[in-house]
Amino acid sequence: MKQWFVLFNKEWLEILRSYRILWLPVSFIVLGASQPIATFFMPDILASAGNMPEGAIIQIPAPQPYEVMASALSQFGVIGLLLVALSSMGAISGEKASGTAAMVLVKPVSHVSFVTAKWAALLLLSVVSFTAGYGAAWYYTSTLFDSVGWGEVVQSALLFALWLGFVGTLALLFSSLLRSAATAAFGALATAAVLSIAASSLPFEQTWNPGRLSGLAAESLNAGAGSPGGGQGAVWLTVIVTAAAMLAALAAAAGSLKRMPSND
Amino acid sequence: MALLAVDRLTKRFEGTLAVDGISFAIGEGRCVALLGPNGAGKTTTIRMLTGLLQPSSGAIRLEEMKPGQDLRAWIGYLPQTPAFYGWMTGREFLVYAGRLCGLSAKEASARSEELLARVGIGAAGKRRISGYSGGMKQRLGLAQALIHRPKLLILDEPVSALDPIGRREVMTLLGELKSETTVLFSTHVLHDAEELCDDILIMSAGRLAEEGSLSGIREANRQPMMSLETEGDSRSKEWLEGWLKRLPEGFEAASATPMGARFIVRDLETARRTVIRELADADVRVTKLEVGYTTLEDLFLKAVARS
Repeated sequence: MKQWFVLFNKEWLEILRSYRILWLPVSFIVLGASQPIATFFMPDILASAGNMPEGAIIQIPAPQPYEVMASALSQFGVIGLLLVALSSMGAISGEKASGTAAMVLVKPVSHVSFVTAKWAALLLLSVVSFTAGYGAAWYYTSTLFDSVGWGEVVQSALLFALWLGFVGTLALLFSSLLRSAATAAFGALATAAVLSIAASSLPFEQTWNPGRLSGLAAESLNAGAGSPGGGQGAVWLTVIVTAAAMLAALAAAAGSLKRMPSND
Repeated sequence: MALLAVDRLTKRFEGTLAVDGISFAIGEGRCVALLGPNGAGKTTTIRMLTGLLQPSSGAIRLEEMKPGQDLRAWIGYLPQTPAFYGWMTGREFLVYAGRLCGLSAKEASARSEELLARVGIGAAGKRRISGYSGGMKQRLGLAQALIHRPKLLILDEPVSALDPIGRREVMTLLGELKSETTVLFSTHVLHDAEELCDDILIMSAGRLAEEGSLSGIREANRQPMMSLETEGDSRSKEWLEGWLKRLPEGFEAASATPMGARFIVRDLETARRTVIRELADADVRVTKLEVGYTTLEDLFLKAVARS
């Protein structure tokens, strides 16, 4: 356990020294804040666009606050996922290619600790960034529109953080399986895209599908709609399946690293 | 007593046998050189010893290790080109390595200071590794391999990438270290092996071509030898070519270049007389005639050529 913290501290120090601790939260804050602000000023923006015919009347119904938060979530679901995948895509493949993984793994270090310490540091970074970004979205939504309740926001944040964590874990898994960092990011994003498209477009029930999580997070913002996604039980099932898949991915990443600690 | 015993170690890479069932033992406190031309399987063997590569078959055992213990805790390893986190300082990396080996924060810190000074980069310890030269990285690599006082220090081509000065310094350092711990290092430079080692293992095409103590091998393979060099003018060349074809009794050509040749001879006295007479008769322009005994290099070439 002591050794695990040594590994974790190193990862965190790297995140600090490479300034990822700054740019990732800042990107999420910009992303989160821009959505309510842009929505609020949309009528003014359209009015001053200048190419409207004389006398045109634009009427945009003021969106519900939970709709604004949900659209911020959909921003996180695209660009946020990309940022998370980019920040963890080279975590293992980079160390394998440079040879630092071999330097560490000839010491009596468990492969599982090596992978999970990286994972925990990246997960912490993603969660901190997402919390900051979602907090910004919440603040501007309450200021410019109307408040959204604590309970709904926290529940949706937890569900969405799990989805981000799931995609980050996939990026880490692909990073240990593949040599190229870019392919790892692509693999993680493509898997995420396939899962969420399947969840929203296939006609049968998919309570097991982690791709449901982002949709569930958006639905759970609407207090009036009752419990989302086929009831509490179904939501828990999705959460448990996702967590199990993350554990399996970590085990696979550690196994792959044990078989091949370096590229040559 | 043997510290490390390797039994029929084999590694197969998609069709090719990189290491073909080698067995050897390393005695405690010995300094062993693993010699061989490029591609002989030295690095593959070393990577299997350090656990970076799974052997296809065969066993590696440390004598004092109990079943279930981690082999890696006993070994310090310096790869051919050590890699570091460029954003760490040299000192930070050593502390990190030490703590990974189970040292306490205080111990790791004290040991790091000690080793930085020992390998001669004490002043650079506070600088980022990204600014280190190749020689400094090699020293830092040596320091991190020693951090947990390993029973067996394994070095893969420790001086190949260094300039003559760096090479000299690292060799001196290794000379000191070999009195403290068991050392196994690979090299393709014979001179390095002769300077430092007690034992040598010569590998060729995945097999062990020769093994034993340096002095024993030298003694067992010591043969009278003559080496002849000419100016390389056409007459001398012609004579040499002709003479190589009708070598007298007791001579055996070991190697030949257009300018000269090396012979293994049965009896030095007769051989010397024969050659000098021949040279005088044919009026060959000799530049060098050496009479002596075979060196490790001759043995190495012979062992490598044989397999």
